Amino acid sequence: MQRLEFIGRFARNRGALIGAVLILVVALMALLAPLFFPVDPLRIVGQPELWPGEDPDFPLGTDSLGRDMLSMIVHGARATLLIGLFASAVATLIGVSVGATAGYFGGWIDEIAMRAAELFQTIPNLIFVLTIVVILGSTLANIVIAIGIVSWTPIARMTRAEFLALRDREFVQACRAMGMGDFRIIAGEILPNALPPVIVLSSLVVAGAILFESAVSFLGLGDPNVASWGRLVGDGRQLIRSSWYICAIPGVAIMITVLCLNLIGDGLNDALNPKLRDR
Amino acid sequence: MVDRNRVTRRVFGAGVLATGLVGGAASGFAQGTPRRGGTLVATWGGGEPQACYVPAGGGSSPTFSSSKLFERLGNRAMDGQFQGELAESWKPAADFKSYIIKIRKGVKFHDGKDMTVDDVVYSISEIWKKYSAASALTDFTGVEAPDADTVVMTFSKPVPEFFFSSLLCGSVNYIVPKHVYAGSDPVTNPANNAPIATGPWKFKEWVRGSHFEYVKNENYWRKDMPYMDRLIIRYVRDPAGRAAAMEAGDIHIGVFNPVAPPDIKRLTATGKFVATPKGYEESVWSTTLECSMRNPVFAKREVRQAMFHAIDRNFLAKTIYYGYARPGTSPIYSPNKEFYTTDTFSTAFDPKKAAALLDAAGYPKKADGKRFAINLLAAGWFTENGKIGAYVKQALEDVGVAVNLSVPDRPTSIKRIYTDYDFDMAISNQANPSEPVPSTTQYFTTDGIKKGVPFRNANGYSNPEVDALVEKIKVETDPAKRKALVFQFQKIITTEAPLLPILELESITVASTRVQNHSNDPNYLAASWYDIWLAS
Repeated sequence: MQRLEFIGRFARNRGALIGAVLILVVALMALLAPLFFPVDPLRIVGQPELWPGEDPDFPLGTDSLGRDMLSMIVHGARATLLIGLFASAVATLIGVSVGATAGYFGGWIDEIAMRAAELFQTIPNLIFVLTIVVILGSTLANIVIAIGIVSWTPIARMTRAEFLALRDREFVQACRAMGMGDFRIIAGEILPNALPPVIVLSSLVVAGAILFESAVSFLGLGDPNVASWGRLVGDGRQLIRSSWYICAIPGVAIMITVLCLNLIGDGLNDALNPKLRDR
Repeated sequence: MVDRNRVTRRVFGAGVLATGLVGGAASGFAQGTPRRGGTLVATWGGGEPQACYVPAGGGSSPTFSSSKLFERLGNRAMDGQFQGELAESWKPAADFKSYIIKIRKGVKFHDGKDMTVDDVVYSISEIWKKYSAASALTDFTGVEAPDADTVVMTFSKPVPEFFFSSLLCGSVNYIVPKHVYAGSDPVTNPANNAPIATGPWKFKEWVRGSHFEYVKNENYWRKDMPYMDRLIIRYVRDPAGRAAAMEAGDIHIGVFNPVAPPDIKRLTATGKFVATPKGYEESVWSTTLECSMRNPVFAKREVRQAMFHAIDRNFLAKTIYYGYARPGTSPIYSPNKEFYTTDTFSTAFDPKKAAALLDAAGYPKKADGKRFAINLLAAGWFTENGKIGAYVKQALEDVGVAVNLSVPDRPTSIKRIYTDYDFDMAISNQANPSEPVPSTTQYFTTDGIKKGVPFRNANGYSNPEVDALVEKIKVETDPAKRKALVFQFQKIITTEAPLLPILELESITVASTRVQNHSNDPNYLAASWYDIWLAS
């Protein structure tokens, strides 16, 4: 019943509904990519720089080397979404752990954790990501880690704020009086109550991570063994005046996906925030 | 001698060949009476240098900026003839172990002091030997000036004349003023950023992040030269920005691929610009592929040959370089009139043969369809290298070799290829002059294996036969015999295939049709441009 109510509230935000449907389509595309395009998307299969529609075999045309754009877009959805989700998971894991510890214990632990967070926040994110990728090497896993490392701070601050607000509530004090351990209180009692805004933020981090990955790939530091959308945009950059579709198609895909993720974030906010319940 | 410490991004032209490149280039040469005065603004397809002059070379960027100020003893003309610049002539002794150089009289440095044999002796012993030509001058024993217009260079072994002439014309083997450099560390001498030299242009100002301003040298030894009053070298980071500046008339000439391929086409189509591949004959760039001898799979030469048989070089030239490249066939490049031969071992595109060679070498396909796995590194300083890497990966996978590709940025690529030797196969670039020793040979000889020195033998190939042959090439003074030895070298290297150029790249100069007397030197980026002028 409660779940239905949640979905209802989410769906009341039309934008969020559209976003969720489109993301579902993209996810489906990513899942079914090997079914439709069993050949490696980075294989050269035709004439280079065929425009969309020029050859029925390649509905979205081919890139500067003669690789099928449609196949790369579909397979790219996979890489792009995976990077987004995993990077967000890494950021959330770090952010919630740091934020919860800092907010719950306070004192010097809080001081250290928040100064560390500030340190990360003062370094320009993109430059930090590029530095980490250059040092660790351009593989998919390293890019995910790098994005996770720069994206955790807002989540940590949000979690800490929630914990600060909740840690002295009666129900927590009751738990303490019952002799419950710190870890059980944090994970079992406060965290579930602190989570809704964090989830909203995490969904936005997914969108941010996709943009980071695109920027990294655009600058030529992406994993060259993987077809991702950002890489396609980067490859097409040189030809922007003659064959602009090579940049434009993956660019639109990135834009739609990121927009949809933001809309979903809004929807989640509406659905999870009790104060807005009857707006 | 050609220094490649700093490799910069290049762009290549699309379809310019089709739009009257050759016809257009002709207008770059002298027409009518030279017009005097005016300011010429030039740029190149890379960024600002680390210093105006770098004694060791420092790459194409400082070579470009310093070569308008400094001069060499000799110069090579477009027809291949060597001619004197600050030297009037040079000739070998009977045993070829010493060379007598006659120095030009009446040459003054920009500060008014005369250039003397002392400056020449200083430049050779302190700058060439220690910095700009250190790897070429291994057998050099000394230099002295018996009289006021003669300098004698001596060597422990015979030195071929072509080698010696090439040395005198080496792109950064300049004559520097002794009174400025003596007693200082040439590398950190402040004059490197405001040089005093003998050339047609005098240093006036360096506005960092923007441009160099040079003015006419009124006391230049070539009478009534240069024609123009000022030469500005402007740096624009972005190729599209260079194209816009050229179109607006703010920049008159750009060397070494200044603008993006579609822009070359667009600019030449207006009839106001010409594009030419001339002026790069003594500095031909190539893309190389090499197999690390440190990986036991490449121990047999048949396996290395198979790697090259798997790759369609024509496809790379046509698709990735838009025709602005040719398949490489030999470690000596085809524009090299003296030493290039087609009598080499051919590793042309033939995937069936590649598969057969690998089967025979003891690497049959396993159950998963793979023979072995390798790490392929494509040096990321040119974006094209990454694309070549993507193609090579696919081509090798087609013959059953699993490939993990990485395309690191410039510093990481240099470190992984030339210091850490962290690759099984690598895609890199080199630029070589006609003289093969040491620029070309040091990629193949045992003494070329120098950990940490970029653009040397990184694959660890060591073959006593090649080492002995290169030693012979070094000292053979009979031009015909020397040529035969270099031919033999090419045959052995193409058969052994430790490293081969897969592409010879074509560089392009784009200039306004107003610019006259350009692209008239086989290494035009490093020429002094004393005779350039701007039509009204």
